[in-house]
Amino acid sequence: MTQRAVQRVVLFAVALFVGAAMWEFYKVIGPADGGSVFGWHLIPKSNNQAMPHTWDIVDRMFRPESAALDEPIWRTILGYSWYTFRLALVGLVLGVVIGTAIAVLAARFSIAERAIMPWVIMSQTVPLIALAPQVVSWSGKFDIFGWEWKKWMSVSLLAAFLAFFPIAVGTLRGLKSAPPAALELMDSYAASWWRTLIKLRFPAAIPHIVPAAKLAATLSVVGVIVSEVSTGVSGGIGRAVISYQQTASGDPTKPYAAVVGAAVLGLALYGLVVLVDVIVMRNRPQEADA
Amino acid sequence: MSALTSTPASDGDHASDTSDTSDAIRRAVAVVWPPLAFGLAFVLLWEAVVKGFDLKPYFLPAPSSVLDAFFDNLDNVWSATRVSGTNAFVGLLAGAILGVALSFALMRFDVLNQLVSPLAVALNAIPIIVIVALFSSMYPSTSEIPRRLMVTIIVNFIVLVNVSKGLRQVSRTHLELLRSLAASPSDVLRKARIPNAIPYFFTSLKIAAPTAVITAFVSEYFGGRQHGLGYFIPSNFANSKTAIAWAYVVGACLLGLAFYLISILMEYITQHNRGPAPGGA
Amino acid sequence: MKSQHATANSGAPSSVANTVVVDHLSKVFNAGKPSEVRALADIELAIEPGEFISLIGPSGCGKSTLLRLIANLIEPSEGSIMVNGKSAAQARVDQDYGMAFQQAGLFDWRSVQKNIELPLELKGWDKARRADRAQEMLELVKLPEFARYMPWQLSGGMQQRVAIARALAAHPQLLLMDEPFGALDEMTREHMQAELLQICNVTETTVVFVTHSIPEAVYLSDRVVVMSPRPGRITDIIDVDLGRNRDDDTREDDRFYASITSVREALRRVDDGTTSVRPRGGVDDR
Repeated sequence: MTQRAVQRVVLFAVALFVGAAMWEFYKVIGPADGGSVFGWHLIPKSNNQAMPHTWDIVDRMFRPESAALDEPIWRTILGYSWYTFRLALVGLVLGVVIGTAIAVLAARFSIAERAIMPWVIMSQTVPLIALAPQVVSWSGKFDIFGWEWKKWMSVSLLAAFLAFFPIAVGTLRGLKSAPPAALELMDSYAASWWRTLIKLRFPAAIPHIVPAAKLAATLSVVGVIVSEVSTGVSGGIGRAVISYQQTASGDPTKPYAAVVGAAVLGLALYGLVVLVDVIVMRNRPQEADA
Repeated sequence: MSALTSTPASDGDHASDTSDTSDAIRRAVAVVWPPLAFGLAFVLLWEAVVKGFDLKPYFLPAPSSVLDAFFDNLDNVWSATRVSGTNAFVGLLAGAILGVALSFALMRFDVLNQLVSPLAVALNAIPIIVIVALFSSMYPSTSEIPRRLMVTIIVNFIVLVNVSKGLRQVSRTHLELLRSLAASPSDVLRKARIPNAIPYFFTSLKIAAPTAVITAFVSEYFGGRQHGLGYFIPSNFANSKTAIAWAYVVGACLLGLAFYLISILMEYITQHNRGPAPGGA
Repeated sequence: MKSQHATANSGAPSSVANTVVVDHLSKVFNAGKPSEVRALADIELAIEPGEFISLIGPSGCGKSTLLRLIANLIEPSEGSIMVNGKSAAQARVDQDYGMAFQQAGLFDWRSVQKNIELPLELKGWDKARRADRAQEMLELVKLPEFARYMPWQLSGGMQQRVAIARALAAHPQLLLMDEPFGALDEMTREHMQAELLQICNVTETTVVFVTHSIPEAVYLSDRVVVMSPRPGRITDIIDVDLGRNRDDDTREDDRFYASITSVREALRRVDDGTTSVRPRGGVDDR
């Protein structure tokens, strides 16, 4: 298993290298100002402004964000990523709580499943993330238990909104996956519905919840970034991507540094979920690799 | 995997659907009424809360005023929806074609598979949407290509992952049977793998269609020409024209729903005589 | 057919007369690795044309492996297998045998008729000829009016009958069956057994049948091959003297019980020989 992991990392590095080589190759053969195919301007510009050299991108990581700063930009970006990471983590936890609650409700009451689940599914087919500015506009307008509703709470709430969906669907499927024989066994013990939930349905659901949580982690990061971008909440990586991109004409490698920061952030939250997975599932039989 | 043994009809009852239509209608009503009732109750409660607490329109508009704004601005909403919808559609089409082509290539060339699989896992974990900011400097400032490219990439991975699974996860019995018949690799592909992958393709399309819509207008947040949903929604909110912003959101919802329903319809038309669908991912 | 039996190297003169000749056969899985398993050791078996042979034994005795070796789905580690006087590989290419599995393995995107036509498609038959043969097969398995049905509309027993029709579609002389009735309920199972015998009598097909049911093996077979595990060996071959025309009354015949007893005793000797192997009612090993 560890051998496989090493192999994967090596292959990933090779894939990155191949990607970088293709990038540089395109810069050699591609037209500097792009081009058209069948009247569509499909061919990207290959000049250093549009597609900087890979080594310039790496070099940019070690220079400061602006002349006024001392620290290399990767440190600055790490700070932005950390900000976004915290909001995404809150969103993920909130999403797990809400998603689990909906799943338990749906598993308990068939009418709840039939009434709510179509909306849960619909909530993902319709782009409600578009409401981010509305939700953020509520900040500072009211208190909850004496706490003022702050902007970051709105952002985390939106992340939770994206994250709860896979959790709700995955958990419900998991809660229903308990084998009938085991359910009958619990019935034969005259166990209450709640005890059956705790002793049987939840443990049976974990293999379904974990992949859902991985997806939820990514969605929560996307939710925070998109909310930052569409509402102008500053301090996070999403805003950094936008502001760097707006100054890209003078410093074309800068947005790339921010994108790397966003990728690191996504991998970090994903890694956290994988860690939890490993801890929770350590005594279970290994599943076939997905 | 094969649903062959999962739902054996009893020996005498082999007709596919002999039930009369009134029965079908009753079943449809049973499926439809709970979510409808829930939705209606939700909207009514919302309306009541806004009216009852006398909420300011910039805080939360009432459903009735959103509806008014929607019909008052129908032309504007439609034109913005068309812009984002076209981007979503073009990207969806290109991404689906690319995804299917790539999954065949990965199936055929294991080296490629070894390289792309870890990349796909990593891409799953990162908020890939941000790279649209990089695309925008590669194309002219008014180009829609960066947004379409973004949709293409995201759709491509959804389709790629699912179709690859369908091409690979062929039942063991089918593979043994074909080997016992001395079938060539291309026979195995045509007779078993491709038919097996088709439901997976439609499953991926159902996921990809609404995702394409969301990606299309979220891509607009990252700069570029300002005439789609992704421009008008935040800008109207920023100007406190909340009801109008909501009207554009309604447009976005309808667009997402339309894409989803079309993908379901396509699946139904092509798959309805195949029996219980396999559990796609 | 392009049967060039070039390599008749084995000196056994009976290899042409017999439908299947298994000579000094061994199979090792994962050779050289820690997970190495000796699945079969030194198997000798000759099957005459028209014979019905059952392979029976506890889990892990390699009966399914032996069947797959005869079918050339896997390659032997040692020894040789001849089918219809040619190598097993050539016999597979020539579609000299049909095969049925525990799972009916029908393609759920093909109608019943199209499923039966599959082997014929791979042989390059034209459409009309395929349709004729499919209809003939459907009549053979008593499902003549089900050509246009989809597999999921059929019961488990009906699906398995379609699978048998598919296995026999190219009129092979040899039928290889891997616990084909294992997933069926007892009543359907007995019914299917009777029908299978009838079909074999009509078509004069040779059958190799893997099962873990003693009554099934006895009812169907001319000879029952008893196998032992770790590594898989043939410990006994028991002749079943019930004649060719067997029906439901056969199941109450004294000779039927006598044969069951002798197979059971042979299996029990297998059990005593090893430490803790017991024929479980589960799915067979691989």
